Amino acid sequence: MLSLINVPPYRLSNDYIDHFYHLVMTQLNQDHAEVRFSAFQMATELFSRSHHFRALLVTNLQEFLELTVETDVEHPLPPPKEVARKLKTQAIQTVQVWQSTYGEAYKKLALGYHFLKQVKKVDFQDVEARTLAERRRQEEKQQRLERIYKGKLEKAKQEMEEMASEIEESLTEMNNCMTLIMPDSFNFFSSELPAVSEKTTEVSTERHQDTEVWDEQPCCSKDLSKEGGRVAEVSKGEEEKEDSSGESDMEEGVDEDVFIRSSGLMSRTYRLDLNVSSDLKVKETEENEAVVNTMRDLHRLISSRYLPVIQSWIQVFTKVGVEEQLMRRATDLKKSLEKVLRKHDELHIDYKARQRRVLKAGEEEEDDDDDFEEVPEKEGYEPHIPEHLRAEYGLDSISSPSSSVAELKPSEPVDRPAAPPMPSTLSRLKSRLCEEEQDPTCAAATLRVLKEKMTTATSTSVSGGSAKPTTNCSKQGEEMEKAPVIPFGLDLYYWGEEQPTAGKIVKYTSQHQFWVPHEVEEEVENEELSAQMKSRYITFAGSFQPVEHKCKAPMPNGSLCERQDRVKCPFHGLIIPRDEIGRPINPEDAVRLEKEERKRREEQPDWRDPELMREIEAATGEDLGSSKTYGKGKKTGKGKGKRRKHPNLTDLKQSANTSRSRLEKKVFNKSSMRRIAEVMNKMDTRKHEKFANQFNYALK
Amino acid sequence: MLSFLTARQTGVDDPVRLRRAESTRRVLSLELNHDRDVERIHGNGVNCIDIEVIEGRYMLSGGSDGVIVIYDLENSSKKSHYTCKAVCTVGRSNRHVHKFSVETVLWYPYDTGMFVSSSFDKSMKVWDTETLKPADVFQFDGNVYCHHMSPIARKHSLIAVGTKDPKVQLCDLKSGSRIHFLQGHRGEILSVRWSPRYEHILATASTDGRVCMWDVRRAAGSLFTLDQYNGDKSKASSEAVNTAHNGRVNGLCFTDDGLYLLTTGTDDRMRLWNSATGHNTLVNYGKVVNESRKGVKFTVSRGCSPEFVFMPCGSSVAVYGLYTGELVTTLRGHYNNVDCCEFHPDYQELYSGGKDCNILAWVPVLRQPDVEDEGKKGGAQAAVNPAFEDDWSSDED
Repeated sequence: MLSLINVPPYRLSNDYIDHFYHLVMTQLNQDHAEVRFSAFQMATELFSRSHHFRALLVTNLQEFLELTVETDVEHPLPPPKEVARKLKTQAIQTVQVWQSTYGEAYKKLALGYHFLKQVKKVDFQDVEARTLAERRRQEEKQQRLERIYKGKLEKAKQEMEEMASEIEESLTEMNNCMTLIMPDSFNFFSSELPAVSEKTTEVSTERHQDTEVWDEQPCCSKDLSKEGGRVAEVSKGEEEKEDSSGESDMEEGVDEDVFIRSSGLMSRTYRLDLNVSSDLKVKETEENEAVVNTMRDLHRLISSRYLPVIQSWIQVFTKVGVEEQLMRRATDLKKSLEKVLRKHDELHIDYKARQRRVLKAGEEEEDDDDDFEEVPEKEGYEPHIPEHLRAEYGLDSISSPSSSVAELKPSEPVDRPAAPPMPSTLSRLKSRLCEEEQDPTCAAATLRVLKEKMTTATSTSVSGGSAKPTTNCSKQGEEMEKAPVIPFGLDLYYWGEEQPTAGKIVKYTSQHQFWVPHEVEEEVENEELSAQMKSRYITFAGSFQPVEHKCKAPMPNGSLCERQDRVKCPFHGLIIPRDEIGRPINPEDAVRLEKEERKRREEQPDWRDPELMREIEAATGEDLGSSKTYGKGKKTGKGKGKRRKHPNLTDLKQSANTSRSRLEKKVFNKSSMRRIAEVMNKMDTRKHEKFANQFNYALK
Repeated sequence: MLSFLTARQTGVDDPVRLRRAESTRRVLSLELNHDRDVERIHGNGVNCIDIEVIEGRYMLSGGSDGVIVIYDLENSSKKSHYTCKAVCTVGRSNRHVHKFSVETVLWYPYDTGMFVSSSFDKSMKVWDTETLKPADVFQFDGNVYCHHMSPIARKHSLIAVGTKDPKVQLCDLKSGSRIHFLQGHRGEILSVRWSPRYEHILATASTDGRVCMWDVRRAAGSLFTLDQYNGDKSKASSEAVNTAHNGRVNGLCFTDDGLYLLTTGTDDRMRLWNSATGHNTLVNYGKVVNESRKGVKFTVSRGCSPEFVFMPCGSSVAVYGLYTGELVTTLRGHYNNVDCCEFHPDYQELYSGGKDCNILAWVPVLRQPDVEDEGKKGGAQAAVNPAFEDDWSSDED
């Protein structure tokens, strides 16, 4: 009896196992690989323990295998894919384990194992548990790839055979070019270092002459404590000197004084940075032009053609795994090409611009042109007339518009056109000018017209001549400032005039060549249109006025709401005047708020306070429906979307939520389909009505 | 059983009654037996099997890769565990092997020295069992779906052959030639069966949904065609053709006494007909899933008092009561579609072949000995086979 009590319930009765088996099978049937996987794991646990469970499972092993190993092609494992794959591999391994332990006792298990092994060709050693078809597909793909690679390899080999000599030729050519430009004696690649050392020794020897103390250190990028002036002299343009005042403290005061007195320099310590440029600059000149040209061509050829080609060969070779010799040859070629390119870069050849020749020709032409003297235009309007020629043109010296404007000063009122300072000698000329102005062919006439235009344009009042210009100007300026800038429109075009065609619509009732209807009102006046032509819309937006007040409604955390909405706070409703601690100032507001609060309380009973309920739920683990009531009471629950029932499962629908599916939902939903069908039917029936006299439309 | 035995001893009962009762009991306890295996020879699905009636010892099986195997079913080793050995095989290496799937294999009813096989390679071969060479080959124009030989015929040795051609062909083994056509069907002939009661009566089933009964002596036309509505024109379609099923009819089987004929069609129905009148007995078997495009080889038990139908149904074999239409049990064991099943009347065993390459033997599991032995027996069994033990881990106590 005691032992019976100790025995857990599942050992007492097979009914529990039956029940468990059915539960597991239902879960295995779920269309979710993760659910299936979990159910499968449970099944494996119990399989090793209970004979009854084994018997149950083995009788229905077909279904079990179908749901876990994917034996039925028409019922593949559900998504998500990774989990499905994992489930499959695990299931296959498990079946193998079962077969080895229980295969003899349960015949169907053995049969199932053989079925998997022989019919489904599951390779139990293969960890990836690929089916036969998968494996074959893989092989085919491999073979196809191999074939492609082989083709590529052949092609690359052939290309290489063809191009290798060419490349080598251009390589030697390039090298030769470079040696031509840079003779071997000045071999910059090897002589780089000696060049530097030469210079340094030079510097150091000079320094030896000057100073006795500092001599051991090599001079590049070292602190030199000595008369910097000397060094500066020595190093000339190549060296930069820099004040390193920090070291001057080291020197003794007396010495310093002497030094300063003798040399006029504040410090003895100077930092010398020698910047020996190893760069060589080759300039294209008349002599080396041909060489440089070929070199440039070769450079372009190498960098744009040969290098990419070789790169692709090497890629192909590495992929296919070709014999070493070919590979080495290709890499050698590439290396030498790269070396040449590097050399070329180091040369820093200063190419001249390409269109040099063309330009030269142009210059020559220009030279030819220079034989002619340029003569400025004479006839018509001449905006700038030199002062000494003014009389010749019959003008007074200041009357040109530009100068008059310049001379105009607000303190000195001058009525410009009315009373110009008129020298008496010119009076005769002036009268003649007036005569001339009548003649439209002469320059003076043109000038007058221009002048008139100009004055009207600047100020209308000037032409009137009655008001004083100063006040005019200032007033004008004020007005100008005030006046809005508006885009040009029809109303401006016809400003102050009657629009001749405003709102008139010309009707051509017939386009016919001969036939004309006898009474036609050719023109119709459209009130609306004419109004439109004369009026102008001006949008008045007003100016932005920042909100000064705050919501100030008390918040649960004790502070006041800081929102600065103009009229209504999204959280606390209409913004009303409140005092320092958030109480409404107006009593009616307070009453209203109180009412609202009470109403809300009624809607949601106190014991169903969602937060409290959630806490209780968390503590007890029972669902009291907090989320439900909360969502129902207010719509706020919906804002976050429904809480998911199984948060640990991958949401299968999420992946299906693509733009396409959303569109499909919109386009193919029932109501829209119906609507479209209706419209199309209507169109169809219209056709029927229209052509009712034709038999095939008359029939419905 | 004891009452049956005493009744038998005292001579109250007919000896047949005991036999029937016992065989019924055995059929009802059919199970996939651990002790009986059939050797795995087929590398592809098993399309058809046939057990010879003379000794009940040899079984023929035809595979969908053209292989034909002969098994020895008799257990002469005096042990309970027995694997049916393959006696001989017409394998792929055999030069006379069928090129395509073997659809029907059939023993010659009077002798195991000969068997006939037909295949999708448009031929039917008559084999000599000793030499495993075809004694005769019949060539046809289309795929051969089925053939059958009358199990009781004394006056003729005709093989009825159903092919893609709507004409049923009769081949005479004596002359080795096709001697006759039976015209009447409009579709491929999926199944042919000779009556086990009258040697000249032949039933044929076709894709046009009709089942025709023929008397081969009067071959101008069929005797009658089975009508699922029993002449009730109001239910029948407008065409004046009697149909047995609304889809293809792909299975035919006479009961052992030849009084009834069973047909199955792709309308997922199975119907039982009075073979003499062609009357539909309207036994309702419920939905019998049947999606085969070829013939279905199902079988009926012999020597039981209510007879049973063994019908391949997906990956299982469904057992129906013949006259009640009740689904008795479902034999689950195959992992893929079951194509054929054959009943062994002597031992009340069932052999079934399926697309999963297996031939499974369903052997009656006798009732466990009574209570007093059980403790010992159970203990002994557990000792023999630890796999049957529960294995709860002790830490859960």
